[in-house]
Amino acid sequence: MERLRALSLDIFRRLGIQGSFFCGQECFKANWKTHKVIHDLATPKQPLLNDPNINKDGTFNPFGAYKFTGSLRPVYPLSPKREVPAHILRPDYAEDGIPISESKKAGQPPQILGPEEQDKMRTVCRLVREVLDVAASHIRPGITTDEIDAIVHEATIERNAYPSPLNYRGFPKSVCTSVNEVICHGIPDKRKLQEGDIVNIDVSLYYDGFHGDLNETYPVGRVDDDLKKVMRTARECLDEAIKLCKPGALFRDLGKTIEPIARANGCAVVRTYCGHGINDLFHGAPTNVPHYAKNRAIGTMKPGMTFTIEPMINLGHNWDVAHWPDEWTAVTVDGKPSAQFEETLLITETGVEVLTAGKRRDDLYS
Amino acid sequence: MSVEDDVPSLIEPSSILPAEGDAGTGGTVPLTIICGFLGAGKSTLVKRILTERHGYRIAVIMNEFGDTATINVSSPDDPGAQSEEFLELANGCLCCSIKDSGVAAIEKLMQKKGAFDHILLETTGLADPGPIASMFWQNEELAMGLGRDIHLDGVVCVVDAVFGRKQMEEDHAVDGIGESLRQIAGSDVILLNKVDLSSPEELEITEDMIRGINPVASVYRTVRGQIGLKSILGVDAYASRPFTTASLSQVETFACGGDHQDCGHNHSHGQTHYEMRGISSLQVDCPTLTSTQLARLDEWIRTVLWESHLPEGETTGSGLEILRCKGMFATEDGKTYILQGVRNLYEIAEVEGAAVSAAGVPDLGKVVLIGKGLEEPVRRSFQSLLTL
Repeated sequence: MERLRALSLDIFRRLGIQGSFFCGQECFKANWKTHKVIHDLATPKQPLLNDPNINKDGTFNPFGAYKFTGSLRPVYPLSPKREVPAHILRPDYAEDGIPISESKKAGQPPQILGPEEQDKMRTVCRLVREVLDVAASHIRPGITTDEIDAIVHEATIERNAYPSPLNYRGFPKSVCTSVNEVICHGIPDKRKLQEGDIVNIDVSLYYDGFHGDLNETYPVGRVDDDLKKVMRTARECLDEAIKLCKPGALFRDLGKTIEPIARANGCAVVRTYCGHGINDLFHGAPTNVPHYAKNRAIGTMKPGMTFTIEPMINLGHNWDVAHWPDEWTAVTVDGKPSAQFEETLLITETGVEVLTAGKRRDDLYS
Repeated sequence: MSVEDDVPSLIEPSSILPAEGDAGTGGTVPLTIICGFLGAGKSTLVKRILTERHGYRIAVIMNEFGDTATINVSSPDDPGAQSEEFLELANGCLCCSIKDSGVAAIEKLMQKKGAFDHILLETTGLADPGPIASMFWQNEELAMGLGRDIHLDGVVCVVDAVFGRKQMEEDHAVDGIGESLRQIAGSDVILLNKVDLSSPEELEITEDMIRGINPVASVYRTVRGQIGLKSILGVDAYASRPFTTASLSQVETFACGGDHQDCGHNHSHGQTHYEMRGISSLQVDCPTLTSTQLARLDEWIRTVLWESHLPEGETTGSGLEILRCKGMFATEDGKTYILQGVRNLYEIAEVEGAAVSAAGVPDLGKVVLIGKGLEEPVRRSFQSLLTL
């Protein structure tokens, strides 16, 4: 990430271009021909070249050479990095992007939270739910994912919380917005949501020393039956997996319930990304909560453990994942849509408490 | 960076010899981890594998630095000329991804350059192969079976016949277990190298020490790392999938207590308990299980492996830590199961029904544990779950 920052500072500062990100020298070199046009735009006025990667309004696709798997394209430039007021408690990675506390605790078993810590988790998860609901209320054709990012960021700092994704391992924004074939970790940009899209909004907050993590997939206007199916399937997968959670349940068994549901609906379960422990660490033990069957996941659920389940369900039979050159955006390999739902859970003495629970989404149930 | 700038060219996988590990692996590429004592001859072995005319397309990865690894490829077309590439390991931006960045880099390289027949990962210095093996074994869950996915074939350790015993007795202990002992405990094939420089008595003592710590590994005596490739590659040491007859015979041998006629050694097996600086192996007999007992066995294994204590909460004196476990046992309904485990990652998987009748599996199974704190209470605890 050092190179990324270096490129961002030196060249772009000189030209007054804000928020231009390249994932590395090679990517930059590959896209120099296209990108150079932006430099020309930024300095003396020059006639626009007839480049398909540049839109009439000056926005552009920075990865012109990349073979996209679907029809979605990034719409750059990204907006400038959003500020978090100084009085808000920040996680250790806020400055340099490195979650050193996660490395320090690597290899340790999952934390068991005491009553006070559990209450703090309840609090931050309640706030996360509020912020997601606020963001979701703004979904409509024409709004850009960057505008959603602004809404999430503002709602977060209003609640005196820090948006967990911001600068986590260098992630540039405060929320992940994943449209259509994007499986997860989509970066908010200047693309306008269109009628017929689905969009997943993944919100995480850091408050009073603890993280909460929540996401839901929403339709933009009216969507077709396939998209309804993949959303409903993902929700059902999560609901059924939550029902298994109680002391003594094994993390490796969740996939046995999730995968048949996906399969029965002509969908596939993503394997590369898993649920994870969450508490004072954004991603902690258990580091892998797989959503697919036949896995060797380690760990037994115990009262006081907090973790997420977040199945990513792809339409069709391809569960594999490809990544855009920004090194974050994960997409389906065949361009078909993907839906996801996530909750943060607390194992209690008798069962499970869904800390991020919200109102039932009628559009997801018949 | 050379890999990224090259125009990818189509390379046919070697058709001279059949790709190893094809049977029952769904066409994924086998990966072997090579570890070894300092000065034992690991590099000589690796160099030999790279340059010898064996007809395999083998990639050797040496992870010397933090964020890059060198990869040397031996090609059957021109064994003398090795191409050298640099693998740039991604920066760990894939949070919540269970695919390790190093593994992703290797698979990406195969996508560009064509599949290899085998991959060797040479570890540095006194690296403990356990966590690395665990990572590659877990990564198999992400395999697409496209011939560009990796599966863990096994761990090979090179031990110095001259200084090995001294190293085992004296090396620096991490968490109470010497690094060289961790390597032996975590290996599936052990090469006792430089035997020409040692005396028969010393060899006997060293080999007994090795087998005492790890009774399930194959041990070979070598000179200058010379050994047939088939003994170290394609061993399928982590197989839980339906066995081919070749792999099953190795397990069968193990299930019979390791009494193979052709090795000519006198090693003690059965219920003996050999301890070396706190690390030992424990072999327990496991009769035909009822389904209840199988469930309790799984519970026992996962408590011991995941939580490092016995199910009843009884602690053993020096702290329990399992480095490797292997077992095979049958259930009352005629099924056979294989237990495989490294560190706290394990699997109890059913073996195909057909293989059972073919191999003539004995009624009695065996479970072997290798690690620390394997004292009498552990054996008693295991046996108590069989008395239901």
